Amino acid sequence: MDLPSVRKLRGYAFDPSLSIRLETHQINEITYEVPWEEIDYSDGTLRGEYVEIIDYDPSVKEFYETIDFNNQSILAENGLAPSESNPKFHQQMVYAVVMTTIKNFERALGRKMLWSTRKLDYDPQNGKSKYEEYIDRIRIYPHAIREANAYYSPQKKALLFGYFHSNPMDQKDQMPGTLVYTCLSHDIIAHETTHAILDGLQRHYNEPSNPDVLAFHEGFADLVALFQHFTFPDVLKHQIAVTRGDLSRQNLLGELAQQFGVAIGHYGSLRDAIGGINEETGEWEKNIPNPNEYNEVMEPHHRGGILVAAVFDAFLAIYERRVADLNRIASNGTGILPQGELHPDLVNRLATEASKTAQHVLYMCIRAIDYCPPTDITFGEYLRAIITADCDLVSSDPYAYRLAFMEAFKKRGIYPQGIVSLSIESLWYPKISIPEGPNSMIEIIANFLRDYSHKVAYYTNRKDIYEITKGIISGNISLELRKKMLLQPDEYVMSLHRRINVKFNKSNDFIKMTGLMFGNIGENFGIRTSSSNGASFSVQNLRLVNRVGPNGNKVNQVVFSIIQKSGVIIKDDKVLRTFIPDRNVDLTLEKMEKAFIYRGGCTLILDLDSRKLKYSIKKPLLVFRLKNRNQGNPLLNKEAIEKQWLFQNETSVNAMSEFQKYFSATINDHAFEPFALLHQH
Amino acid sequence: MSNITHADIRMYGTGTGDCFVLKFFSDESQKFTMMIDGGTWKGTKSHLSKYVRNLKKYVSGHIDLLVITHEHKDHVYLFDACSDLFTKNFTIDEVWMAWSEDDQNDLVKEWKDKFGQKKKALAIASDKISLAIQDEKLTVQLSKGFNGTEVVKRFKKFSSSLNDFKELHFSVDSSGKYKGGLKGMEIIKKQIAKDNIKYCKPGEIESISKLPGIKFHILGPPESFEAIKKEHGKKGSEDTYDHNKVLKRSDSFSAVITEQSSAMGQSPFDEKYNDSSAKSKNYYNQSDSFWRTIDLDWLVSGAGNLALRVNTGINNLSLAMAIEFEDSGRVMLFPGDAEFGSWESWHNIEWNKKGKKGKHLTEDLLNRTVFYKVAHHLSHNGTAKEKGLEMMTSSDLVAMATLDFEAISSNWKSTMPNRGILKDLINKTKGRLIIMNEKDLFYDFDEKVTLKDKIESERLRLNEKQQKAFKKSFKETKLYKQYTVQTNLEN
Repeated sequence: MDLPSVRKLRGYAFDPSLSIRLETHQINEITYEVPWEEIDYSDGTLRGEYVEIIDYDPSVKEFYETIDFNNQSILAENGLAPSESNPKFHQQMVYAVVMTTIKNFERALGRKMLWSTRKLDYDPQNGKSKYEEYIDRIRIYPHAIREANAYYSPQKKALLFGYFHSNPMDQKDQMPGTLVYTCLSHDIIAHETTHAILDGLQRHYNEPSNPDVLAFHEGFADLVALFQHFTFPDVLKHQIAVTRGDLSRQNLLGELAQQFGVAIGHYGSLRDAIGGINEETGEWEKNIPNPNEYNEVMEPHHRGGILVAAVFDAFLAIYERRVADLNRIASNGTGILPQGELHPDLVNRLATEASKTAQHVLYMCIRAIDYCPPTDITFGEYLRAIITADCDLVSSDPYAYRLAFMEAFKKRGIYPQGIVSLSIESLWYPKISIPEGPNSMIEIIANFLRDYSHKVAYYTNRKDIYEITKGIISGNISLELRKKMLLQPDEYVMSLHRRINVKFNKSNDFIKMTGLMFGNIGENFGIRTSSSNGASFSVQNLRLVNRVGPNGNKVNQVVFSIIQKSGVIIKDDKVLRTFIPDRNVDLTLEKMEKAFIYRGGCTLILDLDSRKLKYSIKKPLLVFRLKNRNQGNPLLNKEAIEKQWLFQNETSVNAMSEFQKYFSATINDHAFEPFALLHQH
Repeated sequence: MSNITHADIRMYGTGTGDCFVLKFFSDESQKFTMMIDGGTWKGTKSHLSKYVRNLKKYVSGHIDLLVITHEHKDHVYLFDACSDLFTKNFTIDEVWMAWSEDDQNDLVKEWKDKFGQKKKALAIASDKISLAIQDEKLTVQLSKGFNGTEVVKRFKKFSSSLNDFKELHFSVDSSGKYKGGLKGMEIIKKQIAKDNIKYCKPGEIESISKLPGIKFHILGPPESFEAIKKEHGKKGSEDTYDHNKVLKRSDSFSAVITEQSSAMGQSPFDEKYNDSSAKSKNYYNQSDSFWRTIDLDWLVSGAGNLALRVNTGINNLSLAMAIEFEDSGRVMLFPGDAEFGSWESWHNIEWNKKGKKGKHLTEDLLNRTVFYKVAHHLSHNGTAKEKGLEMMTSSDLVAMATLDFEAISSNWKSTMPNRGILKDLINKTKGRLIIMNEKDLFYDFDEKVTLKDKIESERLRLNEKQQKAFKKSFKETKLYKQYTVQTNLEN
């Protein structure tokens, strides 16, 4: 017999506080449908393909029994009924939301999600013989801390959820002193899961190299939580019916969005940017975008809120366009709806449109991640990524989704750097054009990657995908893996890394295209270079992208990132000279000199059908003087380096949390949990 | 009796911490001696005795009024370290403290009990973490991970920071265990004041018969505990020197750590849910996944936040006062270490009179401030911006800050001085910012411009008359820095 396709699990749509309010209790319980998977209970924990749940509470040193989804009565009733007092239900809730979030990413991106690897110190003498280690599952601790806090730990590859005695702002929602569990809130779980997934997709995004980076992590995590919430039509239906009629009040969805956040304390702060209650009228109002905010606000949550508000604005604009016809039909063209309750059919249709729009916006936001530079993301670049990803997949745009995004970002003063005018065309990253000669080299790489795509496409096991990908990048392929890849035991595979080194070495065009150094003169720029392997760089995030757009457009691409680091010595906020990272360890610095490592990088998107390089989205380490674009020698991108230096040493200090100020050395101090610090409130 | 003409304000250089003596004169004759706080971050008894002896000699063994702003080591430690000097051949007529020190007040008692729990929790958590750090099993395991040596180092730094917070707040016995409140405070209350203390409330305006023409306006601590918890202004507003958030109270952590028998400190779930098979426990404890265990995380996160909350709580309990020369309206502001919540509350005090031009009296007092004792050693949270410094508009403004990098916890150096406050203060005072010890302090982040140089260059902006006046009023020795505030500008 075939296995079922989904596992149905009951859970809260928001969090428990709404279940005790008469007006919301009936919508607060929904049934999550997560893809069916085999679960291993043999170790007393819950272990699926992506996650393992260990319900250990270190503050009371207690382990709780794990829920068994195969238990007959649990199975028959779509899981346990929502209950705050049963830790097994807590596990069920976390599992359902984490899996829902993962599946949304997989659907949007068209591939399996891999967690970020665990970095290890390569040091064969001390038995550390690996650079990194594959992580099959993240760990989930539903009751890990005793505070109003929850975080993703990149070091432990774990989600830690806290619980605490509440001290609510509004005592009618929660009895003061009752326990509040962060692992029972859809938004918190989705938010933290997104941090973990994003870390797997773009691991350098927790390095604050400009004011947007950490804010992006927060804002993006919140966007996913928010729009995932809106994809549940039942939740929307109720609200649409309640506010009966007044559909011109676009506030409705905004107010709802904010409510989601407010339910448990501080996650609401990100959404304060959307709007608030006007004290005079008592009505909820959308905030008027303040274009200066983007230049002034540096604290990551507050800044992330700007991103959330911008995307939410775009969502509202799209939704309005999508329901304009419904409004006309229901009001006979007058725009004024008849008295009394809304027709349930209309409510259904409106809710469906809202949830469909939310799904589209959610997927647009997620897909864009593949089109972002591997380091130093800014909101402007994210906008360009959204537009480019969407243009690639969806040829016609009748509801003007892309324009809605552009407008919303513009209103908040978020302009990408380096474009001349603001239009969809200019936001769309230009397609790469390189001369015939270098292009033939790209074709060789493209052929190789096409081969890779065939190999990977056969595998659905995430570890296989990881290992094949890693083998392709590094060339180290074990015997076992050779079998999987249908290679002869002695067949030589030239790694992607090596290929890039060999091919890109031959022309300045590649340096221009990527902003990175290949070949033997890297040391002039503070890049470690060996005579045999040339300038060192790392290849990351090699992934296969197979997507089908709504009009049947197929996107068939391979994407990967190249990252290169350079050591610079700064004096008086200016680049003075360079040094070689990882080699010049006993660097001697003069007074007022500071050593600094700068990472450049680029994301290369290769179209497999045409075997052409389509986009290069870069954060250049090297630049060419404008005058002699086609000749001349590359120069260190001092402007960017100095800007980053200034940010990390001055601006960011003011944006540090109280906790960091007292307990960490610098904003870049990641020995402690970076996301935990962001969430201290 | 003729009115007061000037006051000498002497800041003792005991190390980061406050120890002030104010002498009020009517022309040449000394009328009144006042002492505000007596503390420092650190220092041996023999080192500190030098200052205390000088102080005793300076005041001829008698203080008319002692003001203790709040119970932090850097404000009361001298009374502990040099208790013999203070309890012998030394008399004090009157002691003032904040209303929140009145142990007879039921509200205070209740709050102190709760707060005491928190302090105790902080001590226990801090001890647990230092103990864990000493455990080689942990450090060896930690160092095996990525960047392991650095991680261990950071953990140690965290533990030492936490320990500093602990020392700032309460006494520990020889083994470092929590004993109770600060000894210095106890000595002041029991041995020096002999429980004869005046507890001040915001809104009170005091005058003293020996001090004609002087009014003491009590600004803080606020009477609401909500304000006391507040370290920062509203997020995103321009009220403070950085954007941060209101701390949220959570008693769970303190409760569970002090192992109270109450329900709060125990597992929230029915026993029947416990995993009796020990299977998950064995899985969790597998040695190859040690790096994923979370036994310390809740302590680190909880203790760190608790330390910040406790610290803010006590700072906001500072007795803050504006001392006014009635005739000229000039004001000297001594806020203790008040943080934002306190500053904000001053503007809601219901005074029995209005300020000039119908302004709220607090704003008016700030407008007329000519001497400002910088709160909290120039840290980011010590001085409110819109509701504080920006209202200090007098062109005569002089400020004193009790910061000394040679005697401070190394872990605090990153928060003091705050560049934003520094910049505004130097600008407003035109360089008349007197710092306890400028050594190792820089004006900018790159540490290119020393604070001393910056201050000196800024003083060139003073006009000739101002320069002369400042030079005449300022005095400096190895033990102290002193500034004279004139009652009237003309003098």
